[in-house]
Amino acid sequence: MIALPIAQAAVPRGIGLLEWLGDLDTWLGPDGILSSGLDTVTLCAAVMGTGILLALPPAALLAHLRRGELTATALVTLGRAVPTFAVAALLVPVALRRGWGFEPWPIFLALLLLALPPLYLNTYTAIRHVDQGTVDAARAMGFGERSILFRVEFALAISVVFTGIRVAAVQVVATEPIRAFLGGDGLGRYVRDGLGQNNETLIIGGALLIAALAATTSLVVTLLERVTVPHGVRRLRLQTASRRGSIG
Amino acid sequence: MIPALQASNPIVRWSWFVDEWDQIQAALVQHLELTLLALGLGLLLSATLAAVALRYERGAPSITAGAAAFYTIPSVALFGLLVPYTGLSRATAVLPLAGYTLLILVTAIIDGFRSVPAEVREAASGMGMSSRRRLLTVELPLALPYVITGIRIATVSTVGLVTVAAIIGQGGLGRLILDGLRRTFWTPMTIGASLSILLALALDLLIYHAGAAATPWARRRRA
Amino acid sequence: MTESAIRLLELTKLFDGAGEPAVTALTLDIPRGSIVALIGPSGCGKTTTLRMINRLIEPTSGRIEIDGEDASLRPVAELRRGIGYVIQEVGLFPHQTVHQNIGTVPRMLRWERARVDERVAELAGLVGLEPEQLGRYPDELSGGQQQRVGVARALAADPPVLLMDEPFGAVDPIVRARLQDELLALQERLRKTIVLVTHDIDEAVKVADRVAVLNVGGILEQYAPPDELLHAPASAFVEEFLGDDREIRRLALKRVGDLPFEQGPVLDIGRAPAEARALLDDARSEWIGLTSGGSFVGWAHRDHVEEAATLAALPRELPAAQVRASSTLREAMEVIMNSRTSVAVIDDGGRFGGIVTLEQIRSGLAGRDA
Repeated sequence: MIALPIAQAAVPRGIGLLEWLGDLDTWLGPDGILSSGLDTVTLCAAVMGTGILLALPPAALLAHLRRGELTATALVTLGRAVPTFAVAALLVPVALRRGWGFEPWPIFLALLLLALPPLYLNTYTAIRHVDQGTVDAARAMGFGERSILFRVEFALAISVVFTGIRVAAVQVVATEPIRAFLGGDGLGRYVRDGLGQNNETLIIGGALLIAALAATTSLVVTLLERVTVPHGVRRLRLQTASRRGSIG
Repeated sequence: MIPALQASNPIVRWSWFVDEWDQIQAALVQHLELTLLALGLGLLLSATLAAVALRYERGAPSITAGAAAFYTIPSVALFGLLVPYTGLSRATAVLPLAGYTLLILVTAIIDGFRSVPAEVREAASGMGMSSRRRLLTVELPLALPYVITGIRIATVSTVGLVTVAAIIGQGGLGRLILDGLRRTFWTPMTIGASLSILLALALDLLIYHAGAAATPWARRRRA
Repeated sequence: MTESAIRLLELTKLFDGAGEPAVTALTLDIPRGSIVALIGPSGCGKTTTLRMINRLIEPTSGRIEIDGEDASLRPVAELRRGIGYVIQEVGLFPHQTVHQNIGTVPRMLRWERARVDERVAELAGLVGLEPEQLGRYPDELSGGQQQRVGVARALAADPPVLLMDEPFGAVDPIVRARLQDELLALQERLRKTIVLVTHDIDEAVKVADRVAVLNVGGILEQYAPPDELLHAPASAFVEEFLGDDREIRRLALKRVGDLPFEQGPVLDIGRAPAEARALLDDARSEWIGLTSGGSFVGWAHRDHVEEAATLAALPRELPAAQVRASSTLREAMEVIMNSRTSVAVIDDGGRFGGIVTLEQIRSGLAGRDA
């Protein structure tokens, strides 16, 4: 296991947190917070990008065709229960045998599995619950099926889709730190090293950084929604998001 | 250099499974204990919170929002944050695990009690049932299917999260996973991970059937 | 009949935050063993009034006496166990079998198991439930059957008073009519004091001994037997509420058997055609009814009678309009107007019982009493 150079500068128990966080070396440098944080953010962004590409199109299409109700119901249970750590652990030897290396494929795939249910489910539920009268009206005005899906259903559902993205992103970011215990690094490394060296400053500092990143993620997705989704559509969320089956 | 690539490091070496059965069994038992403790505590807290939410309707959104906020706290962070206070103890594992069940359980209990039709409550009161009797003989049984579904999800999710508690020296089967990773010896890792998934599925099935037996009237709706 | 089972005295309910009372100084005597219907537009406080009787709602002022005793002084659970309560949504316990549902109050009263079983079986028979339905769950029954269970459950501990809040409002008209008939048959045997809330004037007129018409705010406009109500509305409000066809509705109050019906131009098919011709001339009728062995077999037209050798060979028109002595005049009128004749034959359990004409029905309405 790689020993962190930064962790060797052990801080006295309980009092060194501000000092640690105040030190520029803690942030910059090859094993610094910025670099580790970037690792985490990059992986999470990759997971989310892949997840959105994989989950949204089939969810939207099936919801438009009014099929696949059972799959959605099954995902409600699964969505809260993916054992990411175990799944990633199972994938480690597989990845190594295929020559993919220790990292980051196992954790990437495990996080992807975690992200897919809320992404799929919220998209599916949101589009299924778009008012049928609105859809019929669009059809009557001569919209094609493709236009209905993109310009009516998806446009009206976008707010709830964003809820799914937010839930998935927060879960992914909150779970990613186990990567540090699976042979990788990322923001979880400080908790890992703190535990290894019985250094509370590192444990608490690391934990706070992870929690802060999770909170920031939620905020960023919300802001992203503010920027992209028209005000009128956002109000629909109140009605739709509270319905059964959507996570969030 | 990497032992993983050696032929002597298969994904599962069955002789290890037999030789180290005692260790595996101990991990399994600890995993189960942590799960049950977390669920028990979670259920107790959730019942209290849900009771408050049902009693004071205006408080309900803040209670579910609080549980939802707790749910988004990263597990690694929470285990880490508790270490200075409760050490590498069982409490450090159980408290966060119980906390993570709140969102699912509180929502399930609230949904369950809200699902009791108003006319059923009215009929019960109209017949002269005390509110206590109504709660125990009418509302609780009718809320049960929702609560059981919540317990199933919470159980599966807790079994999965218990493995993460291995980072603070608890974690049952999770310790086998960490142990295997540290030694780059795949057998304990694979066994630990597989058993934790199997344990989750087994408990889910068990609770499903117990729930079905306890709610015979819901059989038709379930089918 | 004149003794009061329930008395409402200056009963007023003002809900928190409401500007106007839901019920205003309502005074009402409900005679023992009778069915009283509370009716009125929405917002007239009829359900509120009902729910004050079993104290699901506490009055703001005024008093309710049950058997001369102030209801507010009795323990609420005990009071309610002595009052059957039936609501539109039925409110059966979905997690309990029909048997358990019906036995709820007896179990609360700690009856012995054998006694509960016996009582449940008895009630099932009374409301027309099959024994094998007792083991089912409410979801497995039709709406009408569920309402029967609801009535049985309300009657379980044999309460002297029954409160019914739109009990048949959720079932289709055919089932509703049957449940109303069953309620009347049940009342024949049980003689309960029943207070029934309804928005359906036909239902009130059909089942109630007295009808209380309430205006918005729970103001009593009229409290009278149905016939009096329909014939002599006490106010413009009542008149408008009852509608233009209130006289027609009175038809539902009278039965064919109450009319002075007659034999009419009816002859056994064994008789000579000449007799039939004479009878037709006598009655100045186009049609003659034919009986065989005391049963009505059909109508024959005058033109055919002129040519026929025997009455048995006449072409007969079937089915004839048929009513029973127990049919209401309204039913009789519908039957007549839907058939080609202007008369209906009274079928008295398979035997010919006479005929009834539109003219007779019209004259039957003229008097106030049947």
